[in-house]
Amino acid sequence: MSNLVAIFLGMVLINNFILVRFLGLCPFFGVSKQLGSAISMGVAVTFVMAIASLATWLIRNYILIPLDIEYMNIVIFILVIATLVQIIELFIKKTNLGLYFSFGIYLPLITTNCAVLGITLINATQNYSLSSSLVAALGGGLGFTLVLAMMSGIREKLELANTPKSMKGLPIAFIIAALLGLAFVGFSGII
Amino acid sequence: MPIGILAAIGLACGLIIYLVYIKVPQKVKGLEKTEEITSILPGMNCGACGYPGCFAYAQALSQDPELVTKTPCSQVLQDPDSLARLEKALGCKLDAAAMCKKALVHCGGNSEVICDYSGAPTCKAAAQLLRGYKKCPYACLGLGDCVEICPQGAISIDPEKGVAVVDPDKCTGCGLCVTECPQELIELVPGGTKIAFLCNYKPLKNIPGRERCDYGCIHCRKCFNACEFGAIEWNKETALPEFDQEKCTLCLKCIEACPQNTLADFTKLGKEKEAELAAAK
Repeated sequence: MSNLVAIFLGMVLINNFILVRFLGLCPFFGVSKQLGSAISMGVAVTFVMAIASLATWLIRNYILIPLDIEYMNIVIFILVIATLVQIIELFIKKTNLGLYFSFGIYLPLITTNCAVLGITLINATQNYSLSSSLVAALGGGLGFTLVLAMMSGIREKLELANTPKSMKGLPIAFIIAALLGLAFVGFSGII
Repeated sequence: MPIGILAAIGLACGLIIYLVYIKVPQKVKGLEKTEEITSILPGMNCGACGYPGCFAYAQALSQDPELVTKTPCSQVLQDPDSLARLEKALGCKLDAAAMCKKALVHCGGNSEVICDYSGAPTCKAAAQLLRGYKKCPYACLGLGDCVEICPQGAISIDPEKGVAVVDPDKCTGCGLCVTECPQELIELVPGGTKIAFLCNYKPLKNIPGRERCDYGCIHCRKCFNACEFGAIEWNKETALPEFDQEKCTLCLKCIEACPQNTLADFTKLGKEKEAELAAAK
């Protein structure tokens, strides 16, 4: 149990996907202009991460390891994640339209998100058990959502601030990202 | 062997997607209309209508068909065939000519050039230096940023006046030139516009027509007095004429009355030059 807590906290704060591992940086700058869309993106990523971890754990442990072709992790995981996202999108579109529109464009965008591939590969290299994989995925997704929400909150306020003309938009966002990253470095080495 | 497994997993994935597509029943109703409208829309996801993509636009239209008159899709308006299909899908009559927006350059050109500009040949670069090299700071610089960006080839530069002219027949009202122009001269006007007002000079104090440009509005009200049909209103705040396109009979009396040539026949814009070129050939 304490092991799971350590994995969870490590994924949320210490080895945060965006600010420490530098994965999923495209949505970090692309979808962090509004708090609402940032949180939708975060929830969608968390959801896909959890499902992808489950599926890739099963495939790795029941197909790849017995056949001794673990070196094909990446290509097979990409395939599985892409399929999974397509299936989820189709399923949601056919059963729950409200959910489909609240996920909107974010779900198909996640197909090629490196944070999702990242969590599956981390699970594989760490040899996590099924429960550990799921906890790591949830923690990673939560950390992703947390940083996206922080960033979008700050950027919403920055729109109103008196920023020099040459610093408006992305330049100041990069500086904010650096400061956030610096803050998260403070967590390193706790566990 | 590994290749075989990869292929097998790939095939299995494809099969699962196909099965989900076929087997999961479509429980949700109400998307049919949206999908019907989506099939009519161009599918370019250009966002000119103000919605994030054609699907979102179709969804908004399926809920409120009246939206089409407020934010029409300029691509559909160009194509009578898809317009007819959209009319059928929405169940309302659409007046394409009135809804279709056209770009209009609010400058008659001929503002005096006050210095030699030999920098980068774009309006954006020239506008950085004291708002251009013409006497009127609101003038069209005529370096053709809008000509470059126009996908329809509807904009040309009049070489005598040094001003961009939009041909309303070719313009689809996509609005790309509006954002491109650094002088903020171009405006989207309704397709049924009859009289074009060709001046963008904003301050009311020193009248530009006399000292800055041969074509600037001097706020003399002659057009307002010349109109027999009450189609011109005088806006007291901006001291500019405002045209009521429905009352206008296109008698062109206001254009004759204007001492500055600030007014022009909108429907003939961009045509004179072409006619001249054709005659020269």
